Amino acid sequence: MAGIDYAIIALFMAFLFWAGSVFYRWVGDPDDFYLAGRQLTPFILAATITATNVNLYSFVGQAGVAYEHGISIIWQTWTGNMALVFAGLFVIPILRRLRVRTIPEFLEMRYNSVVRYMVGFLWIFRLSFWLGVVLYTAVIAAQTITGFESFTFWVILFSIITIIYTMLGGMWSVALTDSLQFVFMLAGALIVLPLVMSAVGWWPGLVEKLPALHLELVPKTGDYNWKFVLAIWIIGIQWACVDQGLLQRAFGGVNTKAVAKGLVLAGIVTTPFALLWNIPGLAAQVIKPGLENADQAIPYILSTYLPPVVLGFVFCGLLAAQMSTISSNLNAVATMFTNDIYGRIFNRQASKQDILKTARIMTIFTGIFMMGFTYLVPVLGGAVDAYLTIVSIMDMPLFVVAIFYGLLWKRTTWQGAVAGYLAGALAGGLARFGAGLDNNTSTFFSAGAALLICPIVTWITSGVNSEKVGKIWAMKSASEEEKGLSVVYNIIPQSIGGRIFLFTLFGGLALFLTGIFISAMDWPHAGYYCVAGMVIYFLSGLARLKFD
Amino acid sequence: MYFDWVTWSIWLVGFIILIVWIFVPLKEFKQLIQQKRNEKN
Repeated sequence: MAGIDYAIIALFMAFLFWAGSVFYRWVGDPDDFYLAGRQLTPFILAATITATNVNLYSFVGQAGVAYEHGISIIWQTWTGNMALVFAGLFVIPILRRLRVRTIPEFLEMRYNSVVRYMVGFLWIFRLSFWLGVVLYTAVIAAQTITGFESFTFWVILFSIITIIYTMLGGMWSVALTDSLQFVFMLAGALIVLPLVMSAVGWWPGLVEKLPALHLELVPKTGDYNWKFVLAIWIIGIQWACVDQGLLQRAFGGVNTKAVAKGLVLAGIVTTPFALLWNIPGLAAQVIKPGLENADQAIPYILSTYLPPVVLGFVFCGLLAAQMSTISSNLNAVATMFTNDIYGRIFNRQASKQDILKTARIMTIFTGIFMMGFTYLVPVLGGAVDAYLTIVSIMDMPLFVVAIFYGLLWKRTTWQGAVAGYLAGALAGGLARFGAGLDNNTSTFFSAGAALLICPIVTWITSGVNSEKVGKIWAMKSASEEEKGLSVVYNIIPQSIGGRIFLFTLFGGLALFLTGIFISAMDWPHAGYYCVAGMVIYFLSGLARLKFD
Repeated sequence: MYFDWVTWSIWLVGFIILIVWIFVPLKEFKQLIQQKRNEKN
């Protein structure tokens, strides 16, 4: 990197701190800090949600897997996008109507405070670990691009910057860095793509020089095969429905319809974008095969192909990407702690100012946890593996008890929810670390155990509060307030047009799943069925929003 | 001169998203800032 690049980065950081200090004045109460005052409009919302889905993890971790194993890792983003559309149309509008801030808060509404505290405590650690994964990717990128290889130096530098920035502006800071990140990263990717493609002899050159399996969209064999696509689709749905960092952005939406629109838009926009970091990952395999750490593939490409000044801006994009993801998750942990634990257990009389102060202190503590967890990531096999491990163990059972049974089965009791969650997490942990199974299989174990144990315990226990459950079920339809403001959104549309598009949406989903299963049978071009199904699904989701 | 349709089609889609993503959120952020100023006054 040249001196001019460092100057650009310094200016960018100064701008962010200035923006953070402006936002500090905007933050008057906890809702401002947690949810940007619930004022985010559809496009800002879509930009911030897209930034959750596209971050440094994508450019470093995912592109690294594309480098090593091939294009099928792209399904991590694509199925995540499909999940965003699903969550936006069917799940998150209900949670937004309940005006909750966190999933544990919803769990108390649906079950009771025991479930809320248990999940709240566990998720503070789960999110801190995810923060460690994101910080790790930033450190790898910075080491490779600058050539300065001290791991600890970058861990400390990035942590200090993001902790201060988040402490100042809360969710407003997150929204700004999200929007900036997206622009910088997309611009950087648009510069890099033609440069690397010309270096490998454009598309025909890439196809000719890569191993054949690298271009299989849904391969039958390999680590990222059809089972991976199926597992990551299931994981994606639970991610889009229960991930606190994502939900918090969605809850910041100005109304239910804006939330649905923002999520659908975010899912669709990110889909072509995913090619812009996965293809350079593939190209890196041709340009520089045999890298010791595959996570270095894109940082290597950037430092080799980008001229000064452009490199500085792209580095700012990487920095913004890392900051936005870390900021949102630091913010999420602070929200969970103050909302679900501090305000409920330690200080029930806490004033708004007490809560704000505690949220800011918690941001610092979480940042310290994050730094510690960063050192664990290489032990777990790099960014992607570490992330999939925690998701398969911790997230899957939560989705089963909170969303699947919580929103679909009125009879589910709190004892069933607790038992289902613990059984799922335990089964996932034992499958991954006890039996040494891969993440895909561990996901099926954790989901299966939660799906099985929750209803069994529910049948032998009692204690459903039908008033509570009735209140949640009522949120599936538009409220009187929404009707008055003409922002009506029904989960199941009332119009024929809306229902037709809902039907085609599920048709697209069926085609996508068919593509996965015929891949297992070695059917030629099965991956294209998956892509066609996905496109039908997206277009139907978008069209459904036009009708109600 | 060889023109790679695959690469440049992907590039064009990305470019359109970039342009939309610069202008629409900028407009919405401006409105939010204005709203905050009005609240202050």
